[in-house]
Amino acid sequence: MFRNGSATTFNTSKRGFFTSTILRGKPGCALVPPVHHLVKIDKSKLSPRFPGLKYDKDDIRSPAYHPKNTHQDRVQEHYLNTLQSDMMLMNYSHEAKTEKGLKKRTWDVSKSPYHVNRPLRRPQGPEGQRPDVHPIIWNNIPSIDNVILNCYVAESRDNELLAVSALLQLQQITGCKPSIIYSKSNVPNWKIRSGRQMGAKIKLTGLPMHQFLSTLSEIVLPRIRKYRGIKLSSGDSLGNISLGLTAADVKFFPEIDANQDLWPKTFGFHITINTTAETDDRARTLISGFQLPFDLEPSKKEA
Amino acid sequence: MLSTPRLITRCKNVDTSILTIIRTKRTKANKNSTGVSPQMQRVVTQLSVMSARKKQPKMLKLSNEDLIKHQTIETAWKIYQDKLQGQRTLRLKKQYFAVKEAMDTLKEVSPALFYEANVDESGKTFPMELRVPTDAPPREIWHYDYTLKTTET
Amino acid sequence: MTTKAPSTIRAALVLARTPIVVPKLTKFESQYIKYKSELERRLMWTFPAYYYFKKGTMSEYKFQSAQKKPISKQPGVWYPEGIPDIKHCRERSTKQEVIIPKETPKSDDTSVSRPVVKNPAVTRADESNDLTSLERQLRNTLYLLVKSGSKGEWKFPSFDVGSNQPLHEVAESGIREIGGNKLNTWTVSRKPVKVLNDGKDGSLEFLIKSRIFSGEFVPKNKDTEFKWLTKEEIKDFVNKDYYDNTEYLLDK
Repeated sequence: MFRNGSATTFNTSKRGFFTSTILRGKPGCALVPPVHHLVKIDKSKLSPRFPGLKYDKDDIRSPAYHPKNTHQDRVQEHYLNTLQSDMMLMNYSHEAKTEKGLKKRTWDVSKSPYHVNRPLRRPQGPEGQRPDVHPIIWNNIPSIDNVILNCYVAESRDNELLAVSALLQLQQITGCKPSIIYSKSNVPNWKIRSGRQMGAKIKLTGLPMHQFLSTLSEIVLPRIRKYRGIKLSSGDSLGNISLGLTAADVKFFPEIDANQDLWPKTFGFHITINTTAETDDRARTLISGFQLPFDLEPSKKEA
Repeated sequence: MLSTPRLITRCKNVDTSILTIIRTKRTKANKNSTGVSPQMQRVVTQLSVMSARKKQPKMLKLSNEDLIKHQTIETAWKIYQDKLQGQRTLRLKKQYFAVKEAMDTLKEVSPALFYEANVDESGKTFPMELRVPTDAPPREIWHYDYTLKTTET
Repeated sequence: MTTKAPSTIRAALVLARTPIVVPKLTKFESQYIKYKSELERRLMWTFPAYYYFKKGTMSEYKFQSAQKKPISKQPGVWYPEGIPDIKHCRERSTKQEVIIPKETPKSDDTSVSRPVVKNPAVTRADESNDLTSLERQLRNTLYLLVKSGSKGEWKFPSFDVGSNQPLHEVAESGIREIGGNKLNTWTVSRKPVKVLNDGKDGSLEFLIKSRIFSGEFVPKNKDTEFKWLTKEEIKDFVNKDYYDNTEYLLDK
């Protein structure tokens, strides 16, 4: 007999014993612990072939090995030396408790036997589940996790070659290898067909990320005319802040600026700064420490 | 594109839009004109810049001794970084409890001052003057001639 | 807490100048970074010069003639260091050295392409050991320490909290009273970073953290001495108790 809330839900594919067709409403694996076949087996590791490909990417014997810590990281040092302790102090709140986010509610089993094993009730109010917000102490000070550049080229539905240029543009700006964005679905109204190359994206971490951020804050953003800063409305409420650059702004990147004849056409892109902060306010405090400006004027006008 | 090869125009009922390039004579493609448009050529160059072909160096083949040397260096670095991280965490922990102690004391001594100090400051931003240190100092190291624009506090 | 109502509450200001230049690497760090960057160069893809320099242009000629040519493979030749494997003018088993063609520098050159000359991190204030200058020790954080009168002790500037004015305002206005208005400071937070209990008169001193970005500290009173010191130097100026209590608040 299950106690309330002890039932586990699985997203595994469900199919019958002798058939490959998926059965609806039937569990694909045992719901009673111990539950088997949840650990994915990497079969390439089992094979005796290609021993060189089995090494971790950090291992120097791996063909995919790429050295890290190749230069002094001044942005990281600035964060560790100056920003970290300041952020802890600014975010300190005396005797703060963890703010519980909205969660799914349990059913009262005593009222009806049909409530046993019932999926949890949705949270109260119009919004969905929210994560808890913990007070900042010495071991959860926000830091920048990664930066994602997403360059979607709408014109490439007519001319797929533009997506190649976008790919190279991101590679030139960041010095890392971008990946291709493919359109997922058919939208006849927008003349989009699935499986077409529609642009490029890249996820930056570590030194290339810090290099990109300092180029952005020291070279690119100051050269944009009438740039007011990142909007305060930006943010996904989970501590990730986004900003956008237009095609004209991208020309200010030194890699593009130095070879202008190679870049008759540039492509704007979205920059998402993913932080470990739990709220947007904390993320804003963090990002402003890297000389990225915020548009603080609207709030001043109100005051 | 159609300047060099001659199109078959004798057959009247052939749809000429399909027959774009037909070489009637065996001609060697000129070195400068590879048969593709300049736009396409540009894309080919762009693709070749990103491609690994002919650009990848040989794989590293370390001897056992070199491998052990490398692994020793990496382990030493990891130990060193762990030590630094431990020091930083300890320092932050001390700082946290120092703030906590100060706020506790303030609450006891002067609730009014405590109320003023314990204001929620979430969303406060660092000023733009806070600069990330650079490899070399600027020409004007310090700006001395600062005048207060507006009366503060 | 020994006394419920101490005689005085004081607000002290820990005024810091952030580093202007990156910290100096230790020997181990610089050696490790050099090792890793050499590895990176060895594993780097060949520089696609054909993309940046158009064929047949002067810039391409200049660039190509500045490069060192690798040893090519010839039939019937014995190569003691391995048979050359050249692709795109690069020996694949070694790192590629891309040499930027040098132009003869002119003394009155003001163009953007002139060579970068780095300013030294050791300034005139460092050479003359001027402890009152803000241009010293660019690699470290500097803190303002003051001493009032010849008998006083070196410490962070502190001020009496009279009425119920917030601590950070007392500290910020106090520093302007003794050091003039030409200070561009930014209070990090309204919260005190530390409370120091003065054993003699039972007064409490709350430290407020602040950063200076421009301007300078010019004492109004001639008795007031001041110094901008790094964490290491503060140790020699304040008494041991005071240093031990504040040491972990100070950045490198």
